[in-house]
Amino acid sequence: MDAWVRFSAQSQARDRLCRAAQYACSLLGHALQKRGASPELQKQIRQLEGHLSLGRKLLRLGNSADALESAKRAVHLSDVVLRFCITVSHLNRALYFACDNVLWAGKSGLAPRVDQEKWAQRSFRYYLFSLIMNLSRDAYEIRLLMEQESSGYSRRQKGSGGGTPGGSETGGPGDPGTPGGGLPQIALKLQLRVLLLARVLRGNPPLLLDVVRNACDLFIPLDKLGLWRCGPGIVGLCGLVSSILSILTLICPWLRLKP
Amino acid sequence: MEAFTRFTNQTQGRDRLFRATQYTCMLLRYLLEPKADKEKVVMKLKKLESSVSTGRKWFRLGNVVHAVQATQQSIHATALVPRLCLTLANLNRVVYFVCDTVLWARSVGLSSSINKEKWRTWAARHYCCSLLLSLARDLYEISLQMERAARDKARRDEALSRDPLGHSVADEGTEWLQAFLLLLFRSLRRHPPLLLDTVKNLCDILNPLDQLGIYKSNPGVIGLGGLVSSVAGIITVAWPQLKLKIH
Repeated sequence: MDAWVRFSAQSQARDRLCRAAQYACSLLGHALQKRGASPELQKQIRQLEGHLSLGRKLLRLGNSADALESAKRAVHLSDVVLRFCITVSHLNRALYFACDNVLWAGKSGLAPRVDQEKWAQRSFRYYLFSLIMNLSRDAYEIRLLMEQESSGYSRRQKGSGGGTPGGSETGGPGDPGTPGGGLPQIALKLQLRVLLLARVLRGNPPLLLDVVRNACDLFIPLDKLGLWRCGPGIVGLCGLVSSILSILTLICPWLRLKP
Repeated sequence: MEAFTRFTNQTQGRDRLFRATQYTCMLLRYLLEPKADKEKVVMKLKKLESSVSTGRKWFRLGNVVHAVQATQQSIHATALVPRLCLTLANLNRVVYFVCDTVLWARSVGLSSSINKEKWRTWAARHYCCSLLLSLARDLYEISLQMERAARDKARRDEALSRDPLGHSVADEGTEWLQAFLLLLFRSLRRHPPLLLDTVKNLCDILNPLDQLGIYKSNPGVIGLGGLVSSVAGIITVAWPQLKLKIH
């Protein structure tokens, strides 16, 4: 009980719970539609989803300030690439929240002349840019860790007296490829790369969580902007998974990716 | 801006801000309604008030657990009167939040067979009881503080060897009232959390009293009361040392 009180005292936690519920409703509605459930039940689920969506828009009023504050903090990071990616991502988030506030004003009747479609498209565009920046940052971190891991491996190999016969395949990008590499050679290289990636991600749970979360979130704006229509089922599932993962990072703060 | 984000990161902080907005809209609507050319503004205020009120329900979901935890904490209060008052007040709050959750289920369309009026009356009744019990506790604490202040004053007067009975019998009535009010003012000034809590409970009780028909007032008074109590709530969230603690 104490854990719930502490958890729900953060407004972000409540927002994530509502988001999980919203996408669960979307997924459930899609599943019920496919199985031909009663229209009454479908209408109830859709209504609940609508209420959740509007309620979340109200809960998010003021999140622009939070995003700007995070952007201000990110400007002081030492690594140039991280600084750029994280700051731009937060700035795009701030713009997304600003568009979301305009949409709320339109939906709640305060500004009835707001063009809902136009502002919705704008908000999803900013959300997409922010997710792309997050994924770039994740890719950069993965690359750094892979380089670290492979140089550590090659150092260990040298230390144990002579590498594997046939040249070391785990070298970094500066590694001269074996001459005349055929298809099996490329396949082997790819396999080793994938193994290295898996090892890096397994040893770094916050990074893995962040990658999966951003990848799942990516489907939502791609579908809403019409770039890659995946259907309400996939959108619902991805939204639900990413909400659950971000609830996990709130419950266990060590799972949060720190810059 | 950092202080604002820290404040809004707490659910209670955000909820109090929205509550203040909701009651400000109610107050402004009452003030602007009689004016001739302000219909559009009044309409917008009504829409804002209703959407904020609906949205705030999401903040209250799950507060049953908060109230149960508060009940458990208040059982451990040392003095008998606060223990009794706070425990009963928190139990009433538990019932209020249960009614509120049922009303939420009705409003999002999960269950259409719920009698809204009945549950609304129950919610208002239990909210009113909880506020009355909190006020009883506040009065008890005020009386303790006044006793303490009176003892301190008597000791100071004795030290200065001033005759405490040196006054004419004719002025005894008004002087007693004056001394009482002065003592009340002094004890509340020395104890800001108690003042904030008393003001908050007094302002909050206007709404359920109006809903239950016990003391009908106008939306302006309720709006002003709600706004003052929300501001008091914002102060206790922003400065947690001003929250009235259970001893």
